[in-house]
Amino acid sequence: MLSPIQVLCSDITTLSLEPEPFASYTEADIISTVEFNHTGELLATGDKGGRVVIFQREPESKTEPFSQGEYNVYSTFQSHEPEFDYLKSLEIEEKINKIRWLPQQNAAHFLLSTNDKTIKLWKVSERDKRPEGYNLKDEEGRIKDISTVTSLQVPVLKPMDLMVEVSPRRVFANAHTYHVNSISVNSDYETYMSADDLRINLWHLDITDRSFNIVDIKPVNMEDLTEVITAAEFHPHHCNLFVYSSSKGTLRLCDMREAALCDKHSKLFEEPEDPSARSFFSEIISSVSDVKFSHSGRYLLTRDYLTAKVWDLNMESKPLETYQVHDYLRSKLCSLYENDCIFDKFECAWNGSDSVIMTGAYNNFFRMFDRNTKRDVTLEASRESSKPRAVLKPRRVCAAGGKRRKDDISVDSLDFTKKILHTAWHPTENIIAIAATNNLYIFQDKLNSEMH
Amino acid sequence: MIMRGQKRKLPLEDEEVPDRTSPNWETQRQFVFSVSLSKYQRSQELVEPSLRRSVLIANTLRQVSLGDCGSPSADEETEQPACSSSSALQVTEQESISTGDSAGGSPMGSLNYASNCASSSSPASPSSESNVPMSVEDEDEDWGSMSTDSDLELSAAISSILTALESPIDGSPQAAPRTPLRSLENLSGPSEGGVSWVKQGSRDCGVSWEQQEEEDCRVSVSSMEAMGSSYLSDLTVEDLFQDIDMSLLEGDMGVLGLMSGGGGYPAGDDLLQYLPPFSPSLSSSHPFSISLNPSHKCLPSFSTFSPLSSSTSSALSLATSSPFSGQNLVREGFELENLLEILVES
Repeated sequence: MLSPIQVLCSDITTLSLEPEPFASYTEADIISTVEFNHTGELLATGDKGGRVVIFQREPESKTEPFSQGEYNVYSTFQSHEPEFDYLKSLEIEEKINKIRWLPQQNAAHFLLSTNDKTIKLWKVSERDKRPEGYNLKDEEGRIKDISTVTSLQVPVLKPMDLMVEVSPRRVFANAHTYHVNSISVNSDYETYMSADDLRINLWHLDITDRSFNIVDIKPVNMEDLTEVITAAEFHPHHCNLFVYSSSKGTLRLCDMREAALCDKHSKLFEEPEDPSARSFFSEIISSVSDVKFSHSGRYLLTRDYLTAKVWDLNMESKPLETYQVHDYLRSKLCSLYENDCIFDKFECAWNGSDSVIMTGAYNNFFRMFDRNTKRDVTLEASRESSKPRAVLKPRRVCAAGGKRRKDDISVDSLDFTKKILHTAWHPTENIIAIAATNNLYIFQDKLNSEMH
Repeated sequence: MIMRGQKRKLPLEDEEVPDRTSPNWETQRQFVFSVSLSKYQRSQELVEPSLRRSVLIANTLRQVSLGDCGSPSADEETEQPACSSSSALQVTEQESISTGDSAGGSPMGSLNYASNCASSSSPASPSSESNVPMSVEDEDEDWGSMSTDSDLELSAAISSILTALESPIDGSPQAAPRTPLRSLENLSGPSEGGVSWVKQGSRDCGVSWEQQEEEDCRVSVSSMEAMGSSYLSDLTVEDLFQDIDMSLLEGDMGVLGLMSGGGGYPAGDDLLQYLPPFSPSLSSSHPFSISLNPSHKCLPSFSTFSPLSSSTSSALSLATSSPFSGQNLVREGFELENLLEILVES
């Protein structure tokens, strides 16, 4: 099988784009999370305005072999509304922080979406038949005049245009004092966890009025607080294991069998600091912004500000592999601190076979690293370079003043307002979804499509 | 010309080695300090500040105030604050040190960070005692960015004293009873007042006092009253007192140990005006360093400072039987005045 990186380097095809946005988008349109479901058929995005948009992949068409696999809008709904916390006199943002799909168990699809405080379980179902021939109502639903009814009929199900219905099935509220940053569905398909800055709660999907607190790192005296939880995830196969990352760059693997409160970790993954590379910002750039288990469950992928690291669950002392995402920013940390970019939280993703990892960067660049061949590529998600069916060409960032090839971008001309924080990889195929501010880009491995 | 005992400076572009005597590092440190401060205060005004961001900024502030042992990375963007402002910054650091407030004291975090500094190979988990020497040495740095070499013997002596001091402080039985207000985490919002800005600096520099919050506050107020007249002449003690009260009502953000408010920063600027005018030479005060060494008698004066009243004193202070004895405080105030006079004279 061809190495994905080799193919992607030369042959990335744009599948579909969001409809042409207005020149100036509203802040509510900024995409804040992207997630494929377990089969890859559906792709959900959440935005700052509290809306969720679900895309569905068109089934393969024999007549047009090259148009197979396009993602089109399936459903749009308002998941969260802005709220006001009267006790604190603070607004609660409606921005969707995370979406996680539940594994499909019947015809309907279920997903969890969360903002800073409240998690909701949504049921997404299709309706393509409706009953016709009521006795007491006419076709428009108006009550019939009984005197006009002369005979009885049995209503019959007739096909109708497909309608996608979305309804909230559960609302898990009032369990988090701090901002929820992660949710993760357990492999037992019965429970899930939600993590905020200081606590992690375990929920049962059917019970909304209580949850179990399984991690609490809040110090007795808040002034002693120096570390917060930044991300958390359940192990894909072992329902008792989960991992959470901290702002100090540590990962903690916890076993729920050990104790009810998992404050004591089973394993602590931490890389010793390199004293020669120390700066004022060492701690900030070591803060882990995302953690993902590999599909196999053997490895962990973490993202901090400048690097992406792959950890082996069996080795706590240091990561297995470290990939420099944009090391050219290391000398610019001071100004990145000033303009707040140093606090950006980039996500990362595995491909289906755990051989390639992907993460975003600035200037609408995103990077992919092949773990086996050690090759990497930088690509850009932009309107100009992403016409449908176009092939993405690799980009390069050169140091300021360095030797510059044509089409290279100098570090100083990077646009730090265009950041790719959210990326997702199809669970089995080489299809990736990239969120660039208010635009969603979906790319496919061209070779993959040609084989069909 | 390279002064004797000073480290030879490598060209900045190639620099990877920590070089705390580099002026570039010092200015960067000042810059990071001021940026962190303003960031923190601004974040209090936001809708609901991100806890992660606040914690990271707070940790950076602490690290900067402690005097980092990190390498100055060649950074073209580092601003060069005006010499007067940098000296003003140092002055205000020292001011904040001597203001002696700490509603809650500097948390363990500052020590944690000191530990990050000193034992570079150790992981980020906190280990307090062994790393006080580094913070002590850095405290010396704060006093006019002296050459480190000239203070090594000094800091060695101080560090041994301080390690002896550590256990009494940590083992302080004075676990402050929690005020009911502190549990009202829901109450948040910016606290007004300029001295809140000043308090941040002191907390940043301090050693851990996690058990001494309320006592700290009360004692700090009294110490401020004692010292207030000497140099905070234009600022009434009531204002300071008011700020402390407000700080007790702070929400989660506030009790992170860095009080601030929307109006904090501008008021802080006002505070700068009231400080005695320090000469710009403070920032490169070799004369000062020379004067400090022989005048060891100044150090014993620090030793009688209550630990909570200043970060420097925490670094330099000897064991005091009762850190909160009121009698010491007035004496401390005068001794501080002496020190300030020395600074002025230099």
